[in-house]
Amino acid sequence: MTDELHKRIGTLLADPGTIATIATLEESGAPCCVPSLFLKQDESGMLVHLELLETSSTHRNLLRSIWFDRPVSVTLSGREKQVLVISGRPHKALVSGSMFTACYREVRSRMGDVDLAAVWLIEQLQIRDETYLIRKAQEEALHPFYQHLDRLVIHHE
Amino acid sequence: MSFVLLKRAVKTDLDKVAARYPDVPRLIILKTDVQRRGVFYTDAAIELLDEAQHQTTGTHIFGARDGRTAVRPESLLLRDGTSIITTPTPMEEDPYVVDVLEGEPWLFDNGMSVESVDYWPAPAYYAKSCRSGVPMKRIVSARPQRLNIFPYRYCTFWNDAKGCAFCDIVVQLKKGREVLKIPAKLDPVEVGEVIGEALKEEGRFSTIFLTSGSITGGVRPFDDEVDYYIALLKEVGKNFRTKKYPSQMIATAFEKDQLKRLYAETGLTSYTSDIEVLDEGLFNRYCPGKSEWIGYQEWKRRLVDAVDVFGPGRVNTGLVAGIELAGPHGFKSEEIALERTLSEAEDLARQGVSTVFIVWSPRPDTPLGSYKNASLDYYIRLARGLHQLRVKYRLPVDHDSYRNCGNHPDTDLSRVLPLWEDEL
Repeated sequence: MTDELHKRIGTLLADPGTIATIATLEESGAPCCVPSLFLKQDESGMLVHLELLETSSTHRNLLRSIWFDRPVSVTLSGREKQVLVISGRPHKALVSGSMFTACYREVRSRMGDVDLAAVWLIEQLQIRDETYLIRKAQEEALHPFYQHLDRLVIHHE
Repeated sequence: MSFVLLKRAVKTDLDKVAARYPDVPRLIILKTDVQRRGVFYTDAAIELLDEAQHQTTGTHIFGARDGRTAVRPESLLLRDGTSIITTPTPMEEDPYVVDVLEGEPWLFDNGMSVESVDYWPAPAYYAKSCRSGVPMKRIVSARPQRLNIFPYRYCTFWNDAKGCAFCDIVVQLKKGREVLKIPAKLDPVEVGEVIGEALKEEGRFSTIFLTSGSITGGVRPFDDEVDYYIALLKEVGKNFRTKKYPSQMIATAFEKDQLKRLYAETGLTSYTSDIEVLDEGLFNRYCPGKSEWIGYQEWKRRLVDAVDVFGPGRVNTGLVAGIELAGPHGFKSEEIALERTLSEAEDLARQGVSTVFIVWSPRPDTPLGSYKNASLDYYIRLARGLHQLRVKYRLPVDHDSYRNCGNHPDTDLSRVLPLWEDEL
């Protein structure tokens, strides 16, 4: 993971217009995708995801992931239509200690009388730029056989 | 002294066991094995301990396998949020070693790094003292998310030399009085004040826990114990705006009227009464005080009665797993022990009572202290079996979970129990 990518992620996460979602795997293998309202990136490059409910599907799926080495995915969608998809794996669940306390205060200051079940640190393993215009240009350059020909014909007025 | 150490290159025994149980998380197998074999903290690991940041050994209600009362990390956290309640153990008994790797505490096995760990964080109130001058951590101790009250450090079964054969509570009481200056019986008002101070720390604690030795006295046997718990819980309850608050008590198996009083007069929300071993003959042998005053079948019946009072999923019993195999009177094989134990646990589960276990730590000052505990395979199969009973009988065990206790490998597995409310 390069510093440049970390910076792009940091920039997106600093923008309140960015929508972050986290996708995890249910026990059955079905995906579960929900907003990650407090997502941030720490100094070491770990994604920090806050789980408010002990019995939420995502919290339990993250636990299965750390137990059985199953991947998770985080998507950042920026206001300029940028899309970054980060594949990762849970590194640690903090349930006590100074960072947990700071996050507990943060969620309560923003949402009122809510609780915090765990602070999940997610190691970033791979990042893909899924911004449509970038991917479109890439696909047209590298996979020209997948274009519809009508897009290429000469239009006579 | 430092044992550091090698990065992992070859498979450990833990890896081999983990390969046999792919449905059980390796972290839980590791936790179980650390509890089974104990830990040895190197000097470097102890030097890493910072009392301003980390929780050090507090009330010492039960002793260590090395027989020492010393300042050490209270226990460990794994990266899935699971606690390992550690029992310091002499090196000659082949424990896991906690040493330092790249500035962080790690578990090592035979010189190989196994897993990073965190010391339990120190709660803010640990730096404070009561009005009596006793450090607050000697009155109420902490786990990562739990407040522990050990109000009475004696057990009256010991009056007639009928304490449980694995328990060193009275030996520790004497050490606590002499070395730690902990009063044998806590003042409920002082306990309530310490709880109030502890609760000033935001986001730290999610349950109140209390347990003491049995107190046989009273108009009805154990009325004195019930009265004392009620006095304590009332003082604790003064800190809350709700009548009920998340709480667990491990106590003697009380009569139903006593249980009703506990529930009606206090904020208590769950009840645990440890039968210790699920076999009548072994119960009579290893728990002679419990056997004499209550009896095995009556103990079970009272647990079932407690479900009427506290509700399904709020009552359980604990085992000191491994004593059923110890010495000449134990089961002759782990197969038999598992079959008998899980059969009895199922009898309780179908009546709404959950069973949990702790890994038995043979302690030097106890009659069973010279025996070994069971194999890792045994403990994994027991954890899996008890968890499966909770699935079968739809028994949540939130009150004794990884957050609210942290000492039961089987309830660690139950972190992913089905959520029956999803079926509504």
